[in-house]
Parts: sequence; C-alpha cells; structure tokens
Amino acid sequence: MSSELYSLPEFRVTNVSPAVDADRASARFSVRESTRERAPSQGTLGLSGISLAFGGVRALSEVDLQIEAGEIRSIIGPNGAGKSTLLNVISGIYRPDQGVVRLAGRDFRKVPTHRLARLGVARTFQNLALFRGLSVLDNVKIARVHHTRATWIEQLLPLGRANREARTDTAKAEAILEFLNLQDVRDQLATNLSYGLQKRVELARALIAEPSILLLDEPMAGMTPSDKADMSRFIRATRDEFGTTVVLIEHDLGVVMELSDRIAVLDYGRKIADGTPAEVRANPAVIEAYTGSAHVETSTEGSLEP
Amino acid sequence: MTSPRSLPKKPGASFRPWIAPLLILGVAYGIIPFVGNSYLFEAILIPFLALSLAAVGLNILTGYAGQLSLGSAAFLAVGAFAAFNFNLRVPGLPLLVSILLAGLSAAVIGVVSGLPSLRLKGFYLAISTLAAQFFVQWTLTKFGWFSNDGPSGVIDAPPLNLFGISFEGAVGRYRFALTFVVFFTLLAWKFVTTRTGHHLIAIRDHELAAKVIGVPVLRTKLLAFALSAFLIGIAGVIWAFAYLRTVESAGFNLDRSFQIVFIIIIGGLATIRGAFFGAALIVIFPLVLSRLGQLALGNIFDSGVLEMSQLIVLGVLIILFLILEPNGLAALGDRLKRKLRPLLS
Amino acid sequence: MNGFDWLFFSEVLVGGLLSGVMYSLVAIGFVLIYKTSGVFNFAQGAQVLFAALTFVSLVERGVSFPLALLATFALMVLLGLAIERAVLRPLVNKPPTTLFMATLGLSYILEGGAQLLWGTQVHALDLGIEDLPLEVSGMLISKFDLIAAGIAASLVGVLSLFFRFTRTGLAFRAVADDTFAAISIGLRLPRIWAAVWAAAGLVALVAGLLWGARLGVQFSLSLVVLKALPVLVLGGFDSVPGVIIGGLLIGAFEKLAEVYIGPFLGGGIESWFAYVIALAFLLIRPVGLLGQRPVERA
Repeated sequence: MSSELYSLPEFRVTNVSPAVDADRASARFSVRESTRERAPSQGTLGLSGISLAFGGVRALSEVDLQIEAGEIRSIIGPNGAGKSTLLNVISGIYRPDQGVVRLAGRDFRKVPTHRLARLGVARTFQNLALFRGLSVLDNVKIARVHHTRATWIEQLLPLGRANREARTDTAKAEAILEFLNLQDVRDQLATNLSYGLQKRVELARALIAEPSILLLDEPMAGMTPSDKADMSRFIRATRDEFGTTVVLIEHDLGVVMELSDRIAVLDYGRKIADGTPAEVRANPAVIEAYTGSAHVETSTEGSLEP
Repeated sequence: MTSPRSLPKKPGASFRPWIAPLLILGVAYGIIPFVGNSYLFEAILIPFLALSLAAVGLNILTGYAGQLSLGSAAFLAVGAFAAFNFNLRVPGLPLLVSILLAGLSAAVIGVVSGLPSLRLKGFYLAISTLAAQFFVQWTLTKFGWFSNDGPSGVIDAPPLNLFGISFEGAVGRYRFALTFVVFFTLLAWKFVTTRTGHHLIAIRDHELAAKVIGVPVLRTKLLAFALSAFLIGIAGVIWAFAYLRTVESAGFNLDRSFQIVFIIIIGGLATIRGAFFGAALIVIFPLVLSRLGQLALGNIFDSGVLEMSQLIVLGVLIILFLILEPNGLAALGDRLKRKLRPLLS
Repeated sequence: MNGFDWLFFSEVLVGGLLSGVMYSLVAIGFVLIYKTSGVFNFAQGAQVLFAALTFVSLVERGVSFPLALLATFALMVLLGLAIERAVLRPLVNKPPTTLFMATLGLSYILEGGAQLLWGTQVHALDLGIEDLPLEVSGMLISKFDLIAAGIAASLVGVLSLFFRFTRTGLAFRAVADDTFAAISIGLRLPRIWAAVWAAAGLVALVAGLLWGARLGVQFSLSLVVLKALPVLVLGGFDSVPGVIIGGLLIGAFEKLAEVYIGPFLGGGIESWFAYVIALAFLLIRPVGLLGQRPVERA
C-alpha cells in the first residue's frame, strides 16, 4: 500500500499538503468530489418537541433545537442532563416518544440509523467505537462504504471496479489521515494507540464520509490540554474547510465557549438556555444549573488562543 | 471475542509473505506424495486438511464476524450428503459440479440458520445454531432418501474423478483434498482482506458504529453465515469422500461441532493460519497421547482410558489457551518468529 | 373419531410437566451461576454426571446411602471451589464468550475425569422409589416422576427462599444486580462466587440423582444440559421463576409434540423440538418470559 495519489476519472484529490502542524490545518485542502454540490438544507438540523422517557425517568422533555448549516453548536449541561440521549435520538439509536427530527430536508419520527451516512450524518461516540481488529487506515477506509458499489464477489477478483474503488478509498483515507496528522500511525492496530489518538482516528472516520452534519459526543473527554487544543483546531478547520455543521457535546466549558457559534444548555432533559456563548455565560438559569454540582470550568485549557 | 494482536496478512502486498506459503505448497505437492506412506495420508493429512477447511469456514463466521456458532457439524453433514445425492441422482453431472452444489446447499442452510442472528446475539444465537445442528442430524437420519435408503443411513463415497483425472489410492485422495483446501483457503484469505471482509470485523468489534457508518449489517451477517457454511460444506465433502469414504450422520454430531470450535480457539480466532495450526494439534495430539500412554502406563492404557484422557487433555488445553494465550497458536507463532528474527538475520 | 381423548391428553400433559420440572432443576444450576457472575456454565451437565457417577460408585462400593450423599456433596462443593479458583478467576475480565468456551473445556475435563475415575459402564441408580404407575382421576402417572418432581420443586422452593431471605442469598442478588456496587459495599466477590458454585454443585447433585435414577447413570447424562438450554432461553438466563415456567412449558410442549405431531414426522422429534419452540419464542419476545439482564439480544 503506497501513499501515491492516483488521479482517477471521476474523483480528483487535489492539493494534499501535509498538515504537519495543527496550525496549518487551514491550508488549502480539498478531498471533496468536485461534482457534488452540497445543498444548503443538507446541513440544517431541527428538533421539535422531542420527549423521551426510559421507564419512569424522563430523559428528554419537549426539546426544541434549531441548528443552522455550517454552525458549530454545542450542547452542554450537568451530568445526566440528557445530552448524549439527544445525540442518540438524532442518530436514530433511540426513538423519541414524541417529537420530530428534521434532517436532510426531511422529517423523521425515528431517524434510520443504517441510513445515516446516506443522509449526510456522521458521529463519534463517547466511549470510543473504533474497530479494534483493523488498522487505523482500514478503520477510516471502511467508512467509505456508502460510496462504494462493488459486490463482495467483485472484490475477490484482482481487477475491475472493486480495485478502483479500493484505490480511491485508500487515497481519500490517507488524505484525511494527513489532515489530522495521523499518517505516521496509519498501519497500526487502532487499539494500540493512545486514547487521544484513538479519538482523532474516530474523527477521521467520521470525516471521510464527507458529512453535512457531524455529531461529536464528548470528543475531548480524558484528553490532555494539548490534545484538546489540537482537537479544537481540527473541529474548527473541519467547519471552515468543508462547511460541515458540527454538533458538539462537551464538558470543558472553556473549549465550548471558544469554539461554539451557539450553545444550548440542557438540565434534567429540558432546554434551559439557547444562545451565543456570551448570552449563555451570563444566563442565571445556566449558572444555577451548574453551581451545586461540580465547579464551573472556565479555564482556557482547550482554547485556540495561546 | 478478542481481537488479534497482529493485522491480517494481505496477499499481494509484497513478496516476503508469499515465501512461507509457497514453500509449504511446494512441499505439500512436490515432496510429501512421494515420501509419505498411506498411514500418514489416511490417518493424519487428509483429516487434517478437511478439518482445516472447516475451521477456516467457522473462523469466518465466529472469528471474523463474531457470531458464535455451535452447529457447524450440521454443515459438514449437509455438504457430504448433498454431494452424495447430487452425484448419485443427476446422471452425467461432473463430480466437481456436485461438490460445488453441495457447498451451495450448505450455504443455503447456513443462511436459514443464520436468520436468528438478525435479532439474537451472543449465547442466544449460539443456542439457535444448536437447533440447526439437531434438526439437520435428525433429518438425515430419519429420512432414508438422503442416504439412498442404505443400511443404517450410511453413504459411500463415489470414485473421485475430476477433469478426467482419477484420484485414487491414499495419495490420490490426499491430492484431491489438498487441491480443494488450497483453492478455497486462498479465496478465504483474499476475502478477509477485502472491504466486505473488513465489514465482518467491524460488525464483530462494534456493531452499532458499523451500522452508523453505513455497513449493511443484516446482509453482511447472512453473507458470513453463507460463506462459512459453504466452506464447511466443502470440507464435509472432503471428510466424507477423501477421508472416511463411508459416513453416517452420527459422525456429524455435537462433539464434532465442538471439535471445530476448539480448533479455531486453540489455533487463533480471526486468523487463516490459525485454522491449520489448530487442526494439526487436534489431529496429532490423540496419536501422541496414545503413544505416550502406552509407554508410561502400558496395559492399563486401553482405548477407554485413552478416550477419557483425550477429553481431559483437550479440556485442559482449551482452558490453558484461553488463560495464557487467548489469541491461540497463531499468536504464539508470531511471538516465536519475532524472537527468532534477530537470530536468523 | 368420537371425541378427543382428553384423558390421554392429560396423561401426556402431566408427564410432560413433570419432565419439565426436572429440566428446570438443571436449568436452575445455570441461572445461579449466570445471575451472580455472568458466566454461562456449560459444564453444568458434566457436573450432573460427575455427581451421579460419584454417588453411584460409592454406593456400589458399599458406602451407605447418607454417607455417600454427604461425601458426594462435599466433593461437588470442593469441585466448585476449585473451578472458581483455577478457571474463573484467571479469566475474570474476559468477554462472556471466552468464559463460555472455558466452561466448554471444563465440561470435557469433568466428563473425562468422572469416567476415568469411576469407569464408563452404565450404572443403575436405585433411590428406593418404585417406578409404579399411580392412578389419579383416571390418569396413569409415573410415581417416580411425581416424587422426582416433588423433590425438584422443593429444592427450587428452598433456593428461592434462600435468595429472598438469607444474608448470603441477598448478597448473591446484590452481586447479580450490580457487581460494582456490591464490591463497593464490601461484599467479597470471590467468596460469593465460590458459594454460588458450591450451590450449583448441590443442584447438580440432586439433578444427577434424579435423572440418574430415571435414565441410568452413564455418559449421556451430561447431555441433559442440552435440554436445559431451551428452558433458559425461554425463561430468561437470570430468572429462577422464569426458568421454572420455561421448564414446564418446554416439558409439556415437547411431550405433546412427540405424541401428537411426532408420528407424522417419523418420531424422535424431541431432539430438536424444544429448540424450535425456544427459537420461535425468542424471535417474538427476545427477553425471555421473565428475564431482565440483557444477554446481548439484538
């Protein structure tokens, strides 16, 4: 497996400059299919009246949320507020008792999880969901599945459509790995990497699907400050470069304030605030929700400023 | 299921990995037929080959795709009996076609027995595979049609003729078995390195994430069942036609299923070479045990004692491997290779 | 035909129900271990064989009935402790399938060991209960089956009470419900698991004696476990009441099917019918009748 880039009739991989440093993540870099235009409605996400109860516990109560295309939206709140549950509703893992999810211009009572990739949605998981038996490269490549057509029989043959697709997959995967500065570990088993790197591989796997909407479930949990800074830069670069809408669940409020365009705050399954970082920061309901549990982190640990 | 500590070796990536398999093939085809005696072929090599292919098949389902199956002997039986019937009842059908059709028959049964995997996982799935095991055994015993109403449900192997070449005698049957096993093992090896092969691993390691990124989980699971059953079916044909020559359905019982499971655990889950290592151990250790027993205990060591000791040793081996080297002989082999490398260079 | 032969039907039904109680007995051994440690102990069948073989061999060698019983029980307890120590503890954090494979290996060791120790011949086991037919409202019921079911039911009852009302029983349930919480309040896990395996050994002993008296003590006794699996599937792996009901259902349906459907299919369908019932049930209600802990259903 060499890292040569093949120029292919349909897809063009252009200008892959090795992003050796996260600061250079804004370098001109495009792995997008040049022919595909992303319709503006693709990146919007709407939740109306979402309610969900597990047994006797109300996990979510009438949550309304509007997310514009290309914005970085954070969802914050104390532990148990329902943030991950909300993400699971958006990705169709839970079916809400009431309410509708609007994405890709359509309304869903229950989002079909198996068609998420086709709908332009990708997500990462709180507890890491890498495929432990595959290398980093293969973990990322495999997420190209909804772009590929060759059947398993074709894949057994040495030539033909399957081969071409495999080469494209490899090229695109390597490009993403370089974007996220993971090229050095491309052949290692995913489980052998450090926690921070594994989280980045999961991000790579989500990005290669070229999603309109990226759902990140606590991407910075358990990371060192420098890892967090890197991750913040990558998230911002993803939005800046590809116009991806990012929905982010995160506990580190410093990161959240720095990174987000708008923030929604949940507490006990209800949305208690929704606005810009400045608005949310000053909102007394938010402050009250947080004081009483852990002290509010407003360090600049994960911020983009030095 | 534990994941392997090393990556699957990809054929075609470079020349180095090909050296060992080519050497082995060279020895297998070029040397062994001329130096081996019929005991070697009939008691060791042919059953080893058949069990290896069966283990490769089971590994695809249980090792790579993570779906535990305890009923694999049913597919051995389907393969054997289907090949027998196709060959017998369709006049003029070449043996090769009968064998491939037998594999396909096993694949169909495999898909049916895999349908519960769409709703069940883990032990529940394993138990449903037992249903297939018992049902198939019962069907083949109960309905004499399958064994052409032969005495006590026994079927006899036909003469082995492929493309006009007759594979007779111990050497001939060895070559017959070897060719099938080599061919299908190479196919399996290639398969696990393809994208779909990776889908199996993804489903095993994190089915939800696989679903989220768009892997067609249901289809892929059924494919795994089908391919696995196909390979095991072919192995069943080899078992019946090249090894035992006369078989009855009782030989495809639960113990046989467990034997194949043990092979892939001891050999190494989710590795192709593991199937061969495990099969070699399973075939050889009873013979070794018998010799050792004779030496150590003399007359007390009769066949009853041997049989029981085999059970005990097998059980101990499984547990030891699970505790000490859950990735099996394949992983042990890798470690050995790494230690020897500085010595060899 | 004049009318349906209800008497015969009832006879078959009752016979099936009584069989079912016996299935439940074996299944309870599984539930005990599964409930507290999450291990699916395939070796339960081999333990049944081991217990029966030991008991019967001691009796044949002239040991008195009660003494043999005691000795076998002690042996089973020791065996349980040894298993917990040597096999389960080293594998404590491995995935459930690994543990299952280990119990598979264990079953081989126990089967081989039991027969190596005591020989492979068939033994008759006489528990002093005559196998005479009783007549109850016109139905013929095997006296032995009735008494066996009674013993099994009592043991099940005793175990249920034990779980509910004793300290150790409560500890078992605590561990089953939330292992981490149990550790954090100071319950000693290894001790509890050892006790659980000892209890499973007791169940194996009783099951071994009852089944042994019914079928004769020989290798095929360990195959009784294969009947317990559909019962577990039906009743839920972690529910004692579920397994009781499951056993009754499986026993009843199996017998009825053998008598009424069997002749059309050539007989002998009991080898797989229970599995088909369980499977059909699983596809409709994957959690089992009363089970709770998700054992990786889809």
